[in-house]
Amino acid sequence: MKRFRYSLPVALAGVALLLPHPAASQEFKPSKQIETVVHTGPGGGSDLFARAIAEMLQKEKLISQRMQVVNKSGGGPAVAMAYLAEKKGDSHTIGFYTGVWVTNPLTTVEATVTLKDLTPVTRLVLEPAVIAVKADSPYKTVKDFIEAAKKNPKQLNQSGGTVLSRDNLMRLLLQKATGAQWNFISFPSGGERLSNLLGGHVQMMVIEPQEAGEQIRAGNLRVIATLTEKRLASLPNVPTIKEQGIDVPLIPQARGMLLPPAAPKEVIAYWEGVFDAFVKTPSWKQYVEQNQFEDAYLKGAALNKFIDALKDQMREVLKEAGAKVIR
Amino acid sequence: MDALGNLLLGFSVALAPVNLFWCFVGVVLGTIVGVLPGLGPAATIAMLLPLTLKMDHTTAIITLAGIFYGARYGGSTTSILLNMPGESSSVATCLDGYQMARQGRAGAALGISAIASFIAGTVGVLGLMLIAPPLARFALRFAPPEYFALMVLGLAMVVFLAGDSMVKALLALLVGLWLATIGTDLFSAESRFTFGQAKLLGGVDFIAATVGIFAIGEVLVNLQSRAGGEIVKLPRGIRNLLPTLQDLKDCRFAFVNGSLIGFFVGALPGAGATVASFLSYGLEKAVSRHPEKFGTGVIEGVAAPEGANNADAGGALVPLLTLGIPGGNTTAILLGGLILWGYKPGPLLIQEHPQLFWGLVASMYVGNVLLLVLNLPLVTLFAQILRLPSHVLHPFIVGISVVGVYSVNNSLFDVWLMALFGLLGYLMRKLDFPAAALILGLVLGDVMERALRQSLMMSQGDLAIFVNRPISATLLAIAAVLLCLPALRWVRAWRSEAVAGEG
Amino acid sequence: MRPGIRDRSGLVAALCLALFGAYVTYVGSNLAYVSDVGPGPGFFPFWIGAGLLFFACYQAIQSMSAPRRQNQSAQPSWRGSGRALAGWLAMALSIFLFGWIGFAASFVLLTIFFIVVIEGRPILPALGIGVALTVIFHVLFVITLGVSLPAGPWGF
Repeated sequence: MKRFRYSLPVALAGVALLLPHPAASQEFKPSKQIETVVHTGPGGGSDLFARAIAEMLQKEKLISQRMQVVNKSGGGPAVAMAYLAEKKGDSHTIGFYTGVWVTNPLTTVEATVTLKDLTPVTRLVLEPAVIAVKADSPYKTVKDFIEAAKKNPKQLNQSGGTVLSRDNLMRLLLQKATGAQWNFISFPSGGERLSNLLGGHVQMMVIEPQEAGEQIRAGNLRVIATLTEKRLASLPNVPTIKEQGIDVPLIPQARGMLLPPAAPKEVIAYWEGVFDAFVKTPSWKQYVEQNQFEDAYLKGAALNKFIDALKDQMREVLKEAGAKVIR
Repeated sequence: MDALGNLLLGFSVALAPVNLFWCFVGVVLGTIVGVLPGLGPAATIAMLLPLTLKMDHTTAIITLAGIFYGARYGGSTTSILLNMPGESSSVATCLDGYQMARQGRAGAALGISAIASFIAGTVGVLGLMLIAPPLARFALRFAPPEYFALMVLGLAMVVFLAGDSMVKALLALLVGLWLATIGTDLFSAESRFTFGQAKLLGGVDFIAATVGIFAIGEVLVNLQSRAGGEIVKLPRGIRNLLPTLQDLKDCRFAFVNGSLIGFFVGALPGAGATVASFLSYGLEKAVSRHPEKFGTGVIEGVAAPEGANNADAGGALVPLLTLGIPGGNTTAILLGGLILWGYKPGPLLIQEHPQLFWGLVASMYVGNVLLLVLNLPLVTLFAQILRLPSHVLHPFIVGISVVGVYSVNNSLFDVWLMALFGLLGYLMRKLDFPAAALILGLVLGDVMERALRQSLMMSQGDLAIFVNRPISATLLAIAAVLLCLPALRWVRAWRSEAVAGEG
Repeated sequence: MRPGIRDRSGLVAALCLALFGAYVTYVGSNLAYVSDVGPGPGFFPFWIGAGLLFFACYQAIQSMSAPRRQNQSAQPSWRGSGRALAGWLAMALSIFLFGWIGFAASFVLLTIFFIVVIEGRPILPALGIGVALTVIFHVLFVITLGVSLPAGPWGF
C-alpha cells in the first residue's frame, strides 16, 4: 500500500497539467519559416506583391520568422489553390490571392478548390484599372473610341490577358452597354500587351495605372478613362467611365491573404493581428501610394460578404460573356 | 561621342571596388545556378531581392544582372558533359556538345562555349550600349504575324535537324507540338489534354521534359551495356582540353551568328533565349558546308547556340531598360527589383538615371571578362567529372536531375513527368527518332500557335496579314526557300536512285 | 525482296504513333475547330493529330518494305533493354518512395540498386557512394541553395 500513497495527488497533478490552462496562452506564434504561396512565377504580379509585403513586415518588425515565397504557377491559380488545400491544418503556410482565385473555379473543371474552401483572412488592396491608348492616336475620350468602334465593327483591337481576365470581362460589359464591337487579343505577359499597344498593333488596352505611369510620363500613352468610382489621385484630369456617360458595373481586382482550409482560430487571430497593425504602418501606406492601389482592408465577416458578392457578380458577368460556368 | 563619355562614367562606377566585388559574386552565383538544372536565375534573383535593399542600387542591379547573364555561361557545362541541360536555353548545346564529349573533346566543347559566350555577351553589351533605343523601337514593329513567321522559320530548321529519316523527324516534331498544346488554352480558357490533372493546366514543365529526354534517356541507354569504367576516354594534357586554332577558325561564322541572332531575338518580348539558341543552331546548320554532320559533334553546333543565349541576355535588357517592358521571367523580376528600389522603369529611366544604366553596361563588359577568365580554367576541372566511373556517374546524373526538376516548382509531379520523358527519350534513341525535333516542337509550338491565332484575330481571319506586312513576309519567304531546298535535294536523290536501280 | 518485316520495332512504333495521332485528332475535333475569333482550341490538335496519323502510316509502310539504301539502319538491338528497364523501374519506385521515406533514403537505395544489381559490384562501396552523393546533394541544394527536398519521417 505504501507504493500508492502519493498516487492520488500525483494523478491529480498530472490531470491538472493536462487540462488546458486558462493562463497558458492559446496564442499562436510561428516557430519556423512561413511558406508563402503565390500563383504566379517569380516576377509575376502576385510574386512581387508577396515579396514586398514580406519585406515590409520584417522591416516593421511585425513578424519574427522568415516568409519564404513559393511559386506554384499553372492553370491560373488552380495549382496554387490545390496545393494550399493539401496543406490543410498546416499553421506555417499562407497564400496571397487575387480576384482570379474566385473566378477560375467557376469555369475550369480541374480547379476543384474554391476560395471559400480555403480560409480567407484579409483583403488588402483593390487594384484600379484605366483605359489607355497610344498618345498619338485620334481617341481623346472613351466616346471617340466607341464611335470609331461602331463605325468599324470588329476592326479595332484590344490587348489583354486571358478571355476570363478582367480586361476582357470589362470589354464585354462595355460592348454590351454601348453596342460597339471590337476584338480582344490575348497575350500571356504584360510586357507583350504593352509593346503591342506601343507598336500600334492594338488600339487600346485596360491597364493598371502604375504599369502605365512611366509610359504616360514619357508621353507614349494617353489614359482616356478610369474604371473606378472616383477619379484617381494620380490622374486628376482623367474622367471616370461613369462621368463619361457609360454605366457599367466595375469589376474590382482584389488582393489579399488567406490560410489553408480549416485553419485554427488562433492562427487566424494571429494573422489578423499582424495585418491590423501592418496596414497602419508608414511603409505600407507608402507602398500603396507608390503602386496606386486603393487601400481596402477587410477581414472577417465583411470579407466573406465581399467574396460572396464578388462570386455572384462574376458568375453573372461570365454567363453574359458566354463562358461555360460550371460551379 | 556622347556614348563614349557615358561609358567612361560607367566604367568609373563599375570598377569601384564594391561594384567589382559584387559583380564577381553575381557572375559566380549565376554560373553555379546555370550549371545546376532546374534552379534558374529567376528564382535566385527573387530570393536575393531582400538582400539588395541594403545595397546601393547600382551595385544591386550589377549583382542581379551578373546572375542573369552568368547563368547563360554555366548552362552549357552539364549540357556538354552529361547531356543534361542546365538551363532551358542550353538544350541546343546538348545536341553537339555531348557528342563532342563522347568523342573525348569535352574540353574543346566547354572551351569554345566559354569563348563564344564571351564574344556574344560582349556584342550584346555593345548593342545595348549603342543601339538600344532604336532597336527597341524596331522591336515594337514585331506583332503576332512577325512572331509567327519567325517561328515558322525556326520550324523550317527541323528540316535541317532531320538526319537520316525526315519522316521520323516530322513525327517527333509533331509530338513536340502536341506536348505544347497541353494545358489551358489562352484564348478560350478550355483545357486541352490535361487528363483531369490540375497540375497539367499550366502545360508540361519544359525543364522536366528536356532533362528527362536528354539526361535520363541517356542514362537508360548507357545502362544497357555492362561496359563499366569511364563513359568516355578523356585525353591527357591541357592542350588537348582546349579548343584548337582550327576550331576557332571553324567557328568564325558561328560567333557572328550567335551574337546577332541572340541579341535581336532577345530584344523581342516573349521570344526567349531557348528560341534564340535553336534559331542560331538551325542557321549555322543551314549555311554549313557539312550540315549532315550536325548532331554528331560539330564544334560550330556548340558555339552558335551558346553564343546566342548569351547575346540574348543583352538583348533582353533592351526593352527592359529603354521601355520598362520585361521580355521574360527573369527580366520581370529585374523590373520588380528596380521598382522595389524606388525606380520607375520606363522610357525615361536612362535619361534620368544615367549612372545606373551606364554603370550596369560597363559592369557587363567587366562581368563577361570575369566569366571568361573564370570559366576557361574551370574547363579542365569540370571535364574531370567525366573521369568518374559510370556506376557513380549514373546515380549522380539521376540525383541531380531529380533534385533539379523538383526544385523548379517543389513538385513531385514534375519529377514523375521527368521519369516518363526519360522513358520516352530512351525509346526515341532506340528507334532513331531525333529528340531535337521533339524539343523544337515543344519550344516553338507554344509561341507559334499563339501567334497564329493572335494574328488571325487581328485580321479577322484574313490570311493576307502575313504577306501584307513586310517583316513577316520576308521571314516567311526565307522559310519557304529553306523548306524547298531539301525537297529539291530529296527529289534529285530519289530520281538518281531510281535511275541507278534500273541500270 | 527480303521476306518478312524489315523493321519490326519501327513498325510497332509507327502503329503506336498512328493510334496516338487518331486519338489526338479525335480530341481535337471535339474541341471547337473555329471560334468566332479565329482558329479555336481544336484547330492545332486536329492538324497535329492528322499529321501524326499520316506520317505514322507512311513510316509503317516504310518499315515493311525493302531497304532502299544499304546504310539505313535495320532493327535496333534490344539487348540490354532489360537492364535499362530495370533501372527505370527502380527510379520510378524511388520517386514513389520520396513521399514516404524522403529523398535521402530513397536515393541511397536507388544508388545501391544501380551499383549492386545493375552493375554487379559489391554492396559496401555502393552504400558509401550512395551516402556520399546524398550528402553532396544535401549540402549543395538544401543547405546552400535553400531548396527543400521531400523529407522522410526522420527529418531529411
